[in-house]
Amino acid sequence: MTTTLATRVAALCEAGRLAGPGPFAETVLGHLDVVLPEGPSTVAIADGLSLAYAHPAVTRVGPIGTSGQDAALRVSGTLPRVPYGATSTVLVLTEGPRGPVLFPVDPARATAVPGTNLAGEPRDTLQLHDYAVAADDVRPLTPAELAEAGLRAALARAALIAGAAERCVELTARHTTTRVQFGRPLSHFQAVKQEEARLIEESALVRAAVDAAARELSPVGVAAAKAQASASVAEIARIAHQLHGAIGFTQLSELRFATTRLWSWRDEDGDESHWTALLGRAALAADDVWALLAV
Amino acid sequence: MTETNDTRKLRGEVRDFLAEERARGTVLGRPDSWLTGWDPDFSRRLAGRGWVGMALPPRYGGGGRGFAARVVVIEELLAAGAPVSAHWVADRQAGPSILAHGTEEQRQRFLPAIAAGRCFFSIGMSEQEAGSDLANVRTRAERVPGGWRLTGTKKWTGGAHVNDYAIVLARTGEHEDRHQGLSQFIVDLRAPGVRTEPIHLLTGEHTFNWFHLDGVEVPDDMLLGQEGDGWKQVTGELAFERSGPERYLSTFPLLVSLTRELRRGAATPDQQARLGALLARISAIRQLSLGVADALDAGRPADVRAALVKDLGTRLEGDLVHEVRRILPRTADTGATPGSYPHHLAYALLHSPGYTLRGGTNEILRGIITRGLERQS
Repeated sequence: MTTTLATRVAALCEAGRLAGPGPFAETVLGHLDVVLPEGPSTVAIADGLSLAYAHPAVTRVGPIGTSGQDAALRVSGTLPRVPYGATSTVLVLTEGPRGPVLFPVDPARATAVPGTNLAGEPRDTLQLHDYAVAADDVRPLTPAELAEAGLRAALARAALIAGAAERCVELTARHTTTRVQFGRPLSHFQAVKQEEARLIEESALVRAAVDAAARELSPVGVAAAKAQASASVAEIARIAHQLHGAIGFTQLSELRFATTRLWSWRDEDGDESHWTALLGRAALAADDVWALLAV
Repeated sequence: MTETNDTRKLRGEVRDFLAEERARGTVLGRPDSWLTGWDPDFSRRLAGRGWVGMALPPRYGGGGRGFAARVVVIEELLAAGAPVSAHWVADRQAGPSILAHGTEEQRQRFLPAIAAGRCFFSIGMSEQEAGSDLANVRTRAERVPGGWRLTGTKKWTGGAHVNDYAIVLARTGEHEDRHQGLSQFIVDLRAPGVRTEPIHLLTGEHTFNWFHLDGVEVPDDMLLGQEGDGWKQVTGELAFERSGPERYLSTFPLLVSLTRELRRGAATPDQQARLGALLARISAIRQLSLGVADALDAGRPADVRAALVKDLGTRLEGDLVHEVRRILPRTADTGATPGSYPHHLAYALLHSPGYTLRGGTNEILRGIITRGLERQS
């Protein structure tokens, strides 16, 4: 059974709401005919690695330009802040000497430096020192496949943000309807209503952008979704915390599970500056800026 | 909304039509063209293509195409800054309202004329003491033999000085509950006793009016819907009025103007990114608005989501003006060449206070949004 992108994205929204892991790797690699390895796996779309084929043709005697005898690779470099990178098989997608490739990295054979994001989710940095990848493990990719993986990763992250944003709405509504001050629930104060409405709106905005991007998966759609998701984080977290009062600012409240993730996820898989720059360039390259949005 | 082959084809046809109109000099790319772009000939040519009254059934001269198709056309017209204000209210509000509440005779009389771009409407709801608090209308309709006599003054009535009819909300009975005893009437704007006085916008443009009804006689058959159902009829239309593309695209033509200027030179990375941020937000709001159109097409209630679109969209319309000015600083100038960037900037700016007021003040709408959430939880 094939799971559609929209279904996986909906599952990721739910995962973001529950502050749990979702089918991230499956979503990012859903367009590729890849069987995920046994056990936990994660994805790293990398640049800056140094890749070389392990068995290049001996060009001194053969014709110049003959390529290697097999696809075995030697890889060196850094995979920064890989989600669960120290404890999962890392599926690396990157440019190689003969075009883009995908290959697994076993963190036990790399130097792993554990780290976390602001929410405490593992973000481990792996150092690869002449890491050997067997030929059978190297999957060549087309440039389009690599590009689509990048879009899918950004969309998946935006979906997690949409879910965490919805959690902020839920928790804030629960707090403002139950917390009583001056003899009334907070939600009865006009000033609170005004802020709460903006929180609801901003969250709905992110979800609409994510759902639309999941239907078509175009570069513009994904760029708009991740740019807006990341850009909305500041306002969503600000209002949720403001309306929670002091308790939200401490570990006594579960609000932090959503907001610390939001503050981290907005930077991951391309922050808003990255994606808005792409959108802006596309708009100036197009004949008609409107046609860019309404294809 | 998902684009289908049908909507893509329609979009392409509207773009071709707009290219012809640009060549004719009728589409100037002005911001807020649905409020002040009054061009009855343009409206009639649009109607000739079947793009006025598109959602009305074919038996009344409409296109029978549903709201989603209408949204495609409206989006294209607004993004281009086309002059659509003559038929705007007839197409968006009066047509659907007469279809929903009107008698068979009213439908046959008005709907084909609306769809042909030959009959233009105004809305007579707001008054001096009935703004956000619409149930406070004071205009009275008294029974007279064969009909009603209407007395009162409406305010902010767009186009009353040039349109053909107005749908007027008036009090027909006194009740403890102010929402009862209100009725809607179709009033001929050329009838004796109708008098309009201009109220000028900050730009000096004349679109709003005081609309005086000095004992205007309205025949029985021009009561719209049931006597006493006015409130229900009026509030039932609000989701359509609040969620459409005119709630986030009013200033889009200014963005078009900006990109045209930026393409002349080398845009800096900061200009590109700021432009991209505006596009991301417009794109997201558009998706939210299209979701409401789908809900309305499917007959699902959408009043809360419509309020949400309106608050987000109209705040964006205003923010866009200020952000565009920061991206490419120029002095806004109503005296600049019409169609130039400084000219568009001036009109978008001078119209900007209206974006978050018309169609229901945003502060009031936010109350609807939070009440909707409380109903859910």
